Amino acid sequence: MEILLQLVYSGIALGMIYAVIAFGYQLTFATSDTLNFGQGEALMLGALVALTLVDRLGMNYWLAIPLVGVFGLFQGALVERIGVRPAIKIKSEFGWIMSTIALGIIFKNVAENIWGRDDLKFPSPLPESPLKIMGANVLPMELLVIGGALLMMLAVEFFNRKTIYGKAVVATFNDRDAAKLMGINTGLVITFSYALSSLTASFAGMLIAPLTLTGATMGAVLGLKAFAVAIIGGLTSGMGIIVGGIILGIAETTTGFYLSTGYKDVPGLVLLLLVLAVKPAGLFGKSAIKKV
Amino acid sequence: MQRRTHLTILASLMLSTGMALAADPIKVGVTGPYTGGSSSMGVSMRDGVKLAISEINKAGGVLGRQLQAVERDDEAKNERGVQIAQELINKEKVVATLGFINTGVALASQRFYQEAKIPVFNNVATGSIVTQQFKAPEFPDNYIFRNAAHDSIQAPMIVEEAIGRRGFKKVAILADSTNYGQLGREDLEKALSAKGVKPVAVEKFNIKDVDMTPQLLKAKEAGAEAILTYAIGPELAQIANGMTKLGWKVPMVGSWTLSMANFIDNAGPGGEGARMPQTFIQEANTVKRKAFIEGYLKTFKPKNNRIDSPVSAAQGYDSVYLLAAAIKQAGSTDGVKIREALENLQTKVEGVVTTYDKPFTHDDHEAITANIPVFGEVKGSKVVYAYEEDRQKGADIRTKAVKKDAAAAKQPAKK
Repeated sequence: MEILLQLVYSGIALGMIYAVIAFGYQLTFATSDTLNFGQGEALMLGALVALTLVDRLGMNYWLAIPLVGVFGLFQGALVERIGVRPAIKIKSEFGWIMSTIALGIIFKNVAENIWGRDDLKFPSPLPESPLKIMGANVLPMELLVIGGALLMMLAVEFFNRKTIYGKAVVATFNDRDAAKLMGINTGLVITFSYALSSLTASFAGMLIAPLTLTGATMGAVLGLKAFAVAIIGGLTSGMGIIVGGIILGIAETTTGFYLSTGYKDVPGLVLLLLVLAVKPAGLFGKSAIKKV
Repeated sequence: MQRRTHLTILASLMLSTGMALAADPIKVGVTGPYTGGSSSMGVSMRDGVKLAISEINKAGGVLGRQLQAVERDDEAKNERGVQIAQELINKEKVVATLGFINTGVALASQRFYQEAKIPVFNNVATGSIVTQQFKAPEFPDNYIFRNAAHDSIQAPMIVEEAIGRRGFKKVAILADSTNYGQLGREDLEKALSAKGVKPVAVEKFNIKDVDMTPQLLKAKEAGAEAILTYAIGPELAQIANGMTKLGWKVPMVGSWTLSMANFIDNAGPGGEGARMPQTFIQEANTVKRKAFIEGYLKTFKPKNNRIDSPVSAAQGYDSVYLLAAAIKQAGSTDGVKIREALENLQTKVEGVVTTYDKPFTHDDHEAITANIPVFGEVKGSKVVYAYEEDRQKGADIRTKAVKKDAAAAKQPAKK
């Protein structure tokens, strides 16, 4: 029982790492129907910029958060302007896929040149000794990641449902041309959503860096797993991302323990295929009916 | 009379221009991962090589010619290694190549050198089959040499340390899913079964995995008293961090990669006490080692005066001196002659790892035997001697065991 609890704890913590990254996918999808495939790299840049601020410049971890956020905003806006806008303008279905992947590779190479390719240690802002909760161990940093993920979910849901800007975002998603006629600057909304998406990625990078290792290649695997989470949970639901993350995380740790560590990635991916076959919009996604 | 002096001057002038023509530098390939997860080994090896080359050049070079390192980053990728091998052979026309950190890259790239009859010195890669790839009788001559402790030396050492010396009854094996990890796991299982021990858990993980909970819980539940590892720095650090998280700490004993800087730094206090076989420990206990360590620290200024991977640096350094001795003896830079000289080296080569006295024969291309490595331990973020008696006897040079012993030592590992 204790073991199961430990596996569930670790699974939740791992799932929340995926979830905080997956939010970034959701934000851009919600406005422009496009995804930033360089999400993992945005995460990596956020973590490395944070590392420079905290480790090199001796800044306080908590004070560095807003600065890293601002960096993320600019990074995201840049991606949208260079990579996505031209593709949307010519109504290219796939152009943005290639360009966001290409930008991701460029960011990775730039990071390799600035920070090197070695994995670096990110000093943990919280104590590194585990806490015992109901007989199983959790790291304080893992609790922070869980808190951060929940906070992000609430912020996204609140933003979309309650604020006028959120309504603009939803309107842009539903019908870009109609929204434009209603006086919504759809171009700006899309840029903004990319900026916001990279902001969450940078924040996520900063949150998880003390748990994972920090380096130019940290984004690749995590970005991919987060993508699976976004698909499982649904690209239109904040709640779905959290649940999807937890499902994938727990699936990985329990299969690793009860079946074999060699197969720990399989159930999550099987689940991904199942979801795509049965409910393509994701477990919590609303399937949009497109009228042509 | 005057005429004759004129002639001699003319002749000496001609000679000296002839010399200048012949004094093109001797190009030596240096290949390894200078970026990425195994870069602490690659960069330390390269710096060790550069240090030795600059010393030799200052002393007049080899055969009156300067040595020149042609450095290439193989990024620990097999396909990069293959490209580099072809470039170094065909375009740079190197005389020999030193390097290879990753067993997989070595296995993929060596074929080209073997075919071109150019000697390769593996100064870090440890996979047991690295020097066995082109064995007789299919290949009459083998161009692959090594001065690193191969896995069939390391695995029995690890098992002897855990089972024999420290008396653990139950051990778990944690290895990564690469060639290195899985070949090492096989060697470990073989060495364990030779002692009649079956590991209570054998787990694997992927490069870049961030959570080791299931693997560690399995080991813990099976009652493991120690964890034997075969992986590289970053993931080893995640294992140590995972143990800290579970509040379960058992000794880690593993292959020499536990001495990598990116393990020690990323694991922090969780990595203290980890033990691994080492051919060299950064301690100035002989004149030669003192000069080497001081030269390295002065030239490359590593952080906290700690060589990132002392073993790689020392073996890289020694490989240059072995090669230089062979070129000198061969009196030529021809690959075949260098190989013949290496297989029958007449001069003793004093290196920092050991003194090499006839390190190679035609059929034995391993310079390091089981008696040479000692156990290192992570202590205060540095690798030190694990045993006091080894430290005290550190100045005694352990030389290669004579052929009979070497064969005997190798026998159980092969079975």
